[in-house]
Amino acid sequence: MLLAYSRAFWPLFLHVLGAMTLFGAVLAAIVAGLAKLPRATYAALTTAIPAWAVTLACAYWIEHDEGLGSSNATWLGIGHVVLEPGVLVLLAALGTAYWWSRSAKPVAGRISTVLASAYLALLSVALLAMSGKWG
Amino acid sequence: MTTAQWLLMFHVASAFCFVGGSVAAAILNFLAIRAERPSDTAVLLRLIRRTLPVVFAGVLGTLVFGIWLWNCLGYSLGAGWIWGALVLWIAANALGGIGGRHQERARKLAERLAVSGDASSGELRALLRDPKGLAVSYLAGAATIGILVLMFWKPGS
Repeated sequence: MLLAYSRAFWPLFLHVLGAMTLFGAVLAAIVAGLAKLPRATYAALTTAIPAWAVTLACAYWIEHDEGLGSSNATWLGIGHVVLEPGVLVLLAALGTAYWWSRSAKPVAGRISTVLASAYLALLSVALLAMSGKWG
Repeated sequence: MTTAQWLLMFHVASAFCFVGGSVAAAILNFLAIRAERPSDTAVLLRLIRRTLPVVFAGVLGTLVFGIWLWNCLGYSLGAGWIWGALVLWIAANALGGIGGRHQERARKLAERLAVSGDASSGELRALLRDPKGLAVSYLAGAATIGILVLMFWKPGS
């Protein structure tokens, strides 16, 4: 029972829950994008932002608690790349989804869906690397 | 990589499909409830079906790789947290199925309204916001989160 309230439980639990929510939000955006629904795509990608923030904050919490700050592990590096510079792909997808919802231009929808798909692929690589402890 | 690492990787990937697919379905359902026109509601509820292959792959994968890991890592057959997770896994799937049937009823009504003037009705609004239907979906979500809690907490392990 004590473990559930200890610091060891919460960061990993929230990190994984945040990442799963991020995965689901991006998946919903892709489904809505393929169905040519600009407002639903934008709404789903908006949901992804707080999930990304929770995932990143808890990743740093775990690193701090477990002393992983100076680790060169491959799986940790992949996680950092996908969460930090990788967010630019998510933000670009969100930005183009906003442009699509305002302009109704099909090209904006195609770009947003491709970017969201690329981000989902990055997330998939990261989750495999982190759960399989690659390297 | 060891066998256990491979199994854990596939188990976690399946869990992402299970929970992520359920989150995607929940987002589309939420947007369908908020949609103004029945035609939009019907389209969004129909889209939930596209997330189901991801959810089903996750449901099957978590069970198969989870039981395989149970054996591979040598956890006791009496491990209460694993049995608890299995009970919650069954509950989440049963409740998810009931919630899905409720959404299907709402989708069919929204489609009927869409072809007859596309004006919302009190019946559709009541069906979309039905407390029992929403409670079933929330309970399915709570059971899924409960599985995650047990997986990270591993009480008694």
